[in-house]
This record gives sequence, structure tokens and C-alpha cells, in this order.
Amino acid sequence: MLEVKNLVFAYPDQKAPWNFQFSVAPGQCIAIHGASGSGKSTLMNLLAGFLEPQSGDILWQGKSLRHRPPWHRPMTSVFQEHNLFEHLSVEANIGLGIHPGLKLTQEDQLAIERGLQSVGLGGFGKRIPGDLSGGQRQRVALLRTILRQQPMMLLDEPLTGLDSDTRDLLRQLLLEQKALGSLIVLASHDDEDRQVLADSICRL
Amino acid sequence: MNLRPSAPFSRPGWRLWPGLAIAGALVVLAMAGLGALVWEASLPDMNELWRSRYLRTVVAFTVWQAFLSVVLSLLVAIPVARILARQSGFPGRVVLLRLMELSLVLPSIVAVSGLVSVYGRQGWLTGFANDWLGASWNLYGINGIVLAHVFFNAPLAARILLQAIESAPTSQLRVAAQLGLGRWWYWRAVEWPAVKPIMPGLAALVFTLCFTSFAIVMTLGGGPAATTIEVAIYQSLRFEFDAGQAALLAMVQLAICGFLWWLAARDGLTASLLPDRQVASHRSKAGSSFWARSGDAAALGLFVLFLVTPLIAILLRGLPGIGSAFFPEGSFSVNPALLDATLRSLAIALPAGLMSVSASLLILACGTAAFQPAITRLTNVAAYLPLMVPPLVLGTGLFLLFRPNLGSSSEGLILVTLINAMMALPFVLQMLRGPMGNLDSASRQQADQLGVLGWYRWRWLHWPRMRRPLALAMAYGTGLSLGDFGVIALFGSPGQPTLPVLLYQQLGSYRIDAAAATGLWLVLLLLMLFSLFNWLGSPLFNAGLASKSSRTVPEPEHA
Repeated sequence: MLEVKNLVFAYPDQKAPWNFQFSVAPGQCIAIHGASGSGKSTLMNLLAGFLEPQSGDILWQGKSLRHRPPWHRPMTSVFQEHNLFEHLSVEANIGLGIHPGLKLTQEDQLAIERGLQSVGLGGFGKRIPGDLSGGQRQRVALLRTILRQQPMMLLDEPLTGLDSDTRDLLRQLLLEQKALGSLIVLASHDDEDRQVLADSICRL
Repeated sequence: MNLRPSAPFSRPGWRLWPGLAIAGALVVLAMAGLGALVWEASLPDMNELWRSRYLRTVVAFTVWQAFLSVVLSLLVAIPVARILARQSGFPGRVVLLRLMELSLVLPSIVAVSGLVSVYGRQGWLTGFANDWLGASWNLYGINGIVLAHVFFNAPLAARILLQAIESAPTSQLRVAAQLGLGRWWYWRAVEWPAVKPIMPGLAALVFTLCFTSFAIVMTLGGGPAATTIEVAIYQSLRFEFDAGQAALLAMVQLAICGFLWWLAARDGLTASLLPDRQVASHRSKAGSSFWARSGDAAALGLFVLFLVTPLIAILLRGLPGIGSAFFPEGSFSVNPALLDATLRSLAIALPAGLMSVSASLLILACGTAAFQPAITRLTNVAAYLPLMVPPLVLGTGLFLLFRPNLGSSSEGLILVTLINAMMALPFVLQMLRGPMGNLDSASRQQADQLGVLGWYRWRWLHWPRMRRPLALAMAYGTGLSLGDFGVIALFGSPGQPTLPVLLYQQLGSYRIDAAAATGLWLVLLLLMLFSLFNWLGSPLFNAGLASKSSRTVPEPEHA
């Protein structure tokens, strides 16, 4: 269970601080909904550990994550863009999700190859992100998130700007992950995304 | 929870402590050197400075020649930088930029021999001036010193100014292009605002380089009337054995350089003090007409002639003697003096280059890891200390500190290596600062979340971006040390010369052909080292070594 308890944060020039509070169970998806500037991305960054809250706590299975650095939090983020290292190949980008020093076993390499085929990118392993379309890049980022096998996914507008086929494919992948027990926190403007994926909605 | 393997050297301390230790050691070393000077001179009497006519002359001459050199260097550099910014597409521009960067590492003693060939008594240009213009010209004295300083510093200053001009905001460039601004207004609206912030730092850099110039003044000084503080320190220690006078002069030099750098750094030194080779081009109306292009071509042609003729002279004078320099009198065995000097030079320069690059990386890593402003300040001070405390001053202090124990020449050479590494540090550090800091925040966040930390972050994220700049920095660090004639003159033994010392000895004994050949060999060695490091940093070399998982981050074509 992920519990966000009175998580308070304000930027230096912000008068009214945000106060976030919700909980989600594994295998569930919560959609974070709100206008631009309402704090969706800030919440995602707080959960991931990229920002430090002023007070409150984040609990995972009853244990506090607040003072853990990003690399010790059981989650992986996918943003709307800038999810990949531009100078590394697709394989290396995904591989770094499996081992941070890219020390991959044959099984890992096989998993990457199969994963790429499953998202329609078979044979794209040696390419670099600059050679891919926006939709292809998001598929790579999501595949890395899946193969990283962390219990939580933080998705910040991951399907925005993609063509309908790619959106359908990625939604299907996310539904499969949910069915396998992944907890998803989804920030999205899109009603259809929320309808298809979310079990609950948190309005900001 | 899926436990991630932890990366080697991923604790924050690994980024912080080594760099902090090096920065601390640099400050301690400098303070120890200066402390030794003060101790030796037992708080020198400043009144002596005003009583001694010789000391007064030396200080006044040093300031005067440095001032003149700065003014003339900038007067040449500003128009050249503007022309290069205006004319961004002519063939050979890249070669010219490289040539201008090379002036930083061209051994001054070799360059002087080239300048003598062009502007000396028997020089090409002097003959022309005497025959056709009826003008008399003497290279020795302030004329030659300032000319050599302009030869070295104008290209460097122009390169830095060009960088600043071309980093002007794109929006301003577009507006200026749309309005069709002429040259004067283009300068007022676009170029001057871009170069203004770096002018104090640039002037301080050129002033310091000219103020502490040693080899040029030694060779072109022409007597006591044209002696700088750096040369006077050398003479006090080497010939007069007057440590007190050396200490006094060193402290005057430190006070003037330190004050100047404090003045220049009050508003914060910008990161663009040295060219980082990421130069973009833009178009403006100011340089597009036929007459504008013709005028620019003529001015640039003169500058190229000024830059290239001494280099051609080095080549032409050295080429006939290079064979006999290596194989004297038809012998089939290599000249042991030249071979030994070459090996000795490399034995000093390569470790010095490596040390300066390693120290720079660790200091930069420490600067980014430190959260306390005091630590960041310490690393900044340590990095630029060799610019504020000139190497000969530092060498003097350390010479006095270690004097009883400096028994063998090998110990002296170790000290030379150390000081050469320190000397190269500000330049090397500035080259690496940009590439080291250009990991964007999105990549940093990804890496943090994926646990790509410590060694893994260096290997997969920094190394592909850094290998070319590192190779370049290594080339500059090694090159600066290879051409050093200041520190080695103090610590080295005449019986065990490096290449610049051998060249100086040959000049001193009027073996001009041999000196020309040695000079050419030194330049060729420098070019070979640059080519080697360029190759080591190129994707071609790395393709053979690295896995195919990463690509070198490409530099722009013109860089």
C-alpha cells in the first residue's frame, strides 16, 4: 500500500503550499487530475524523491520513504519526454534499468530482445533515441520501466501527443502491468486515459 | 522489493573528499611556498624596493610591458574576433581557429626563434622595412617583448572573444539581422554586450600571462633595462644567490597579480574564459556586402600572415638541420643529447598532463558534490591559484623550502613535474568544466532513479561526453609542460636539459642551426602529441575499444 500523508510542499515564491494526501493499493491505478500548475508534476517529483517535502510522509508497505534517495525508492518514472539517455542505444537505455552498470546476463539480453518485439520495436536495439519517433521513445521508456520490475510506476503524461495506435498499445501494456500487481500513479489531462486505466481519481 | 546492485564509488564522499584533499593540498603547497619565502627573507623590508633603483626599474618595466601587451593584444583581438564572427563560412576557418588555440601551448622559446627570423636584425620583414621604408627596428628590448606577447596573446584573446560574441542570445541575433544593423550598431547592440562581461577577466588573464612571462623576456629582453620581475627572481636565485631579494620580488609579483585577479573576479569570473570549442555561427548584414567581405579578407589575411610567418620560419630554418640533429655527421646512431632531452621532456610532460587532468576532474567533481559554499569557494580558489601565484614564485618558495633536501636532480624534476601540473591546472580545468557540467537535469534524475551512480555514472553518462574534451585537455596539459622554460630553468640541471633548455643552451652557444632543428623538433613533437591525443579521443579509436552501446556525444562540425 502506498500512503501519502499530509505531504506539504511549496516553491520559494509560492504563497499557498500544496498538501497531498491519498492512498493506493498494489494492482490499482490512481489518476491525478488537475489544471496546469496545479501540482501534478510536483507530486510526481516528491514521490520519486527529486524534491524534498517540507513536512508529511510517504509510506510504502508501512515504511517511510521520505528520507530515501531516488535510487532506493521502489518506483520508476516515465515523463512526457526526456526519458532516455540520448547518447546510449535503445538496448543500453533499457539495460540500465536492469543493472545500473549495464552488466547484463544472457537472460537479461533475451528479455530486452523479447520486450522490444512485444512493443513492436524488434530490431531497434542498436538505434539511438534520436533515430526514433516520439511514440517509439515512449515505448522504450515504458519497456525499461516494466523490465526494471519495481512495484510502483509514476507516469506523468506518458501518452500525451502520441498517435492513437501507440496510445492503445501502451494502455494495453499498462493494464497488463496492473493485472500483474503494479501500482500506478498516473498524472494525465486525458479523460480517456483515466477512464481506461484509473481505479480512483485524486483531484488537485 | 527488487534490490539494486550498488555502484562502486557511489557514496557521496567519493566525489567530495579526493577533490577536497587536492584543493586543500594546492592551497597548503602555495601557502608553504610563500611562507618559506617570507621566512627566508625574514619579512623583507619594503623600503628597499623604493631605495633600489634596479628594483624600481624592474617593477615599473614589468607593469609597463604587460600593460602595453594587453592593450595591443586586445586591439588586434577585437577586430579579428568580430571578423571571424561575421565571416563564418570561409574555407580554412576551422584550421585558423585551431591555430589560434595552439598559441596557448606553443613553446615560447621556439616561437621566439621564429619571431627572430621574421623581425630580427637579419629577419625577412626587417630587411624589407629597412630597404623600402627606411625605418630602423630593433627586436631586442621592449619592442620584441611586446611583439612576442601580442603574437601569443592576441590569437588566444580573439578566440575567447569570438566565443563570447557567438554565444550572444539567438533572439538578439535575429532581431539584428532583421533590422539590417550596420557594423557600428551591430557592435553596440549585439557584440559589445556579449564581450563586456568577460573583458575584465580576459584583460587580467592576458596581463598575468605577460606579467609573469619568462622565456620571452630572457631571450628578447636585451639587458637590465628590459628585465621583468620573473627574470629578476631567476637571476637573484641562480646567479646572485640572494633569496631575500627574490622573496621581495616574488611578494611584489604576488601582490600585483593577486590584486588584479581579485579586481577581475569581484563580479564572478565567467566560465567562458577559455574557448570550449562549442562555437556556433550566425549571419548578419554587417559582413555580407562585397566591400565588407573584401575588407574583412584583407584584415584577416594580415592577421594570418602575422600568425603564420614565424611558424613558417621555424619550419624553413629547422628543416635543413633536423637530419643532422638526429644523426650528427653521418652517424647511424641517434644523437644522445637530443634523445635524452626528448625523453626527459616527455617524462616530465606526460605525468604533468595526467596529473593536471586528474586533479581537474576531482576538483570539478568535488565542486558539484559540495553543498557548502565554503567548499565550493575553496575549490575555485585552488583551481585558479596557479594564475594568481605565478609558478616561478611558487617554485621559488618551494625551492627555498626543500633546498637542503633537494640533493638529486631527479627530485628537482619531480618538483618540476608537480609545478608544471599546477601551472596547467587552470587551463585544463576550464576546458573540462563545460563538458563535466553538461549533464541535463532530466538525465540526472533518470540516473538517480535507476541507481546509475558513482563509477557507473562516470562510465555510461560522463565518459561518452568527456572522452574528446579529456583527450584535448590532456594534450594541452602535456603541451604546456613540454614547452615550459620557466620552472625547469630554476630546478633543472644544465647537464640534464629538457628540450627547451637544450634549445636555450644551443642559442647561447651560437649553434643557431642546431637550435633551429631542436625548435622544429619540439614543435613536431607537440603536433604529434596533439594528433595522438586527438586520435585517442576520437570515435574511431573508441569504436575499437568500447562496446557498441554508446556513442561519443558529437561536437558541432565547426568546433
